[in-house]
Amino acid sequence: MASVQYYCPCFSTSSVQQPPPPHMASSSSSFHPLHSLFFCEECDAVRCNRCVSVEVSGYYCPNCLFEVPSASVRAEKNRCARNCFSCPLCRATLSVVASDPPDEDDGRSVAISPVGEAPFFLYCNYCRWDSASVGITFEKPTGLAAQLQKFEDSAPEAQEFDRLKEHFEPFLRTSSLSSSANLSNLSSSHHHHSHTSAATAAASAALARDIPGVSKYQPLTRSRSGRDRTANKDEMSEYKSRVEVGVLNQLGAGGGDDEDVEYMKHLESAGQVAALEQRWANSWTTSIKTSELRPLRIPLHSKVTKRCPTCRHILIKPEQKAQSVRYKIKLVAGNYLPAIGVTLPHLQEAMKKTAGRPSAAASGGEEKAGGGMFAGRSYPFHLAFTNPLYDPIQVRLSVARVHVAAAAADGSDSKTRRSPYSISLPMQPFPVAAFAEAWEYDDDEDMFGIEDDELGISGAGSRLAREKEAKSKAKTVGVLEKRANVTVVGGEVTIGKEARGDVKFNMLVSYTYRSDDPMPIDSDQSRPSSKQPEHKTFTFYTVIDIGSIIPREDSNTTAI
Amino acid sequence: MAPIRDKFTIHSKATVCQDVDLKGDITIGPGTIVHPKATIFAIAGPIVIGAGCIVEEAAIIVNRRKEVMRIGDNNLFEIGCRVECPSVGNNNTFSTRSRIHHTVRVSNFCFIGAACLVVPTEDETLDEYTSIYGPAADRRVWSGNGKVQEADLRHKHTEYLREMLPRFNRLRRGDGT
Repeated sequence: MASVQYYCPCFSTSSVQQPPPPHMASSSSSFHPLHSLFFCEECDAVRCNRCVSVEVSGYYCPNCLFEVPSASVRAEKNRCARNCFSCPLCRATLSVVASDPPDEDDGRSVAISPVGEAPFFLYCNYCRWDSASVGITFEKPTGLAAQLQKFEDSAPEAQEFDRLKEHFEPFLRTSSLSSSANLSNLSSSHHHHSHTSAATAAASAALARDIPGVSKYQPLTRSRSGRDRTANKDEMSEYKSRVEVGVLNQLGAGGGDDEDVEYMKHLESAGQVAALEQRWANSWTTSIKTSELRPLRIPLHSKVTKRCPTCRHILIKPEQKAQSVRYKIKLVAGNYLPAIGVTLPHLQEAMKKTAGRPSAAASGGEEKAGGGMFAGRSYPFHLAFTNPLYDPIQVRLSVARVHVAAAAADGSDSKTRRSPYSISLPMQPFPVAAFAEAWEYDDDEDMFGIEDDELGISGAGSRLAREKEAKSKAKTVGVLEKRANVTVVGGEVTIGKEARGDVKFNMLVSYTYRSDDPMPIDSDQSRPSSKQPEHKTFTFYTVIDIGSIIPREDSNTTAI
Repeated sequence: MAPIRDKFTIHSKATVCQDVDLKGDITIGPGTIVHPKATIFAIAGPIVIGAGCIVEEAAIIVNRRKEVMRIGDNNLFEIGCRVECPSVGNNNTFSTRSRIHHTVRVSNFCFIGAACLVVPTEDETLDEYTSIYGPAADRRVWSGNGKVQEADLRHKHTEYLREMLPRFNRLRRGDGT
């Protein structure tokens, strides 16, 4: 399918933005579709997701849409603290249901209370998994995360982590105290230590201040002045883990390799091993058995604010409420740059013909409908420009030089074989009307073919093809149609006989618009050169991908 | 090809709307509810539907084989599903836009998820409590937890429909012609 993408120079320092050659795979990262680009008004530049600077403006749970204050985000380990869990099998959201009432002998007409009876468990509506099979049940239907908290905390990994934190804490605290307190008392080695761990020093200084009302922790002062000085950074006591690594292996709790191999040897079906997608959201390694997968609390999402990297102007600012998808500030490129769409008329004809018939017949016409173009022919294409501004614009196009095909027309070179096609576009600027409400437009008749005296042709191509083009109808190149705020221009692509690959070319678009900048008060009105409405020009590069070429030897075997 | 003889035996306690497309030899049990715009085609052989079933809009139940297609009690055929199995048991649920081929025999308490295609190439019977879900139609066996609540919910569903549907739709009387 034909597509158009826009070029964002990101941080390139050269004043002239030169886009990379489009047919290389590595250059695809600097081309973006229009809907993912932003536009900074101060710098008059396009910004993409790669070059904006991002700050978090809030956290929320995607399931219950509860806004979590950033302080408790860290406490809850970035997950929802309420009843939101994701099913381990299908990753849908689990709902809390009550157990069935005990069976009577007659089976039916048992009164089911609306609240339900304990024990409650989690149930997936989609795949019908329930947590009772893993052994997780609750006494109350609310506050599930708190009820699960004790299980989470007693996991061996969590306990190990806590022990590690306890082990390092005294060292951090002494080093921070010594760095924050009398620096003159310290030897140079301590200075060195405090410089290298400024972040941890700051963190543990905050830790030390967190004890209000409690008198100063005496052992620290003792240790600071006493023997621990020498034992401070240079000699840390060796850390002894709570559980030996070898023991864990035998326990088989999520770490034992031998255990896993044994299990795999006795597998009955592939479904018994948990898939990667089911396991990688866990915080630490868990068992690979599907029957031991546990439900996870749903991780939080964040709402971000995006800023222009150079002038720090806010480009995107979302609303504070988690439910609303609107933005307080929304400077997207679609509101400033004209939207370009490319279509191939011969494809549309082919699609219309096969639309009535069922899919069996489509395979017959698929050489054309699949976006293929035969080598050695020329095809017209249409570019539709949609103007988002409230003023009319004048657009000028030009095709960027293709550096690869510099080895000209005598090419038996492998390089020219890659993309010898020539593009012809209208060279003269054409206007696109302003955006207005639908009822304001007059019905314009289609305006056909501004006869272009010069057809701009660039790139390598056979000279014969060029002459042929000049003889053919010039009406395929030029402004084809003007309708509301859309102008369709036609171009033509001529494919050389030995061409292969995709037809992609860079196109430079520059458009001039009248900007109603208010004149400064102290300006001299008598200056003739500055008119009240200024004309500003903006230029950007795009890459147009028309489709792929069907090479000549294949096309000989298919019916035309 | 013999013309299809229409012969409908609809229980007086069943609720079948006027706009339903029925063809062939069809028997509908008591308490069953057929929404408008449903389609039940007994092209080659008869179809027998049990009690308390719910057939929603755009559901298609087709029998292309000469044998009787028996559908049990308390099944739910959601919107847009297409069922061709030769036999269906009790308390099953066929979710929206699911498709089951005529090679499958469905037993009891099965759940076919939304948009799942159950199209095995060979004949097979789904075990009880099978639940099929996901785009690749994965299967797993349901533990049965919550089946009493679901049966109760289905019961309430049919009662509600029995009361509401006649208010807004015309009913077909079970004359058979």
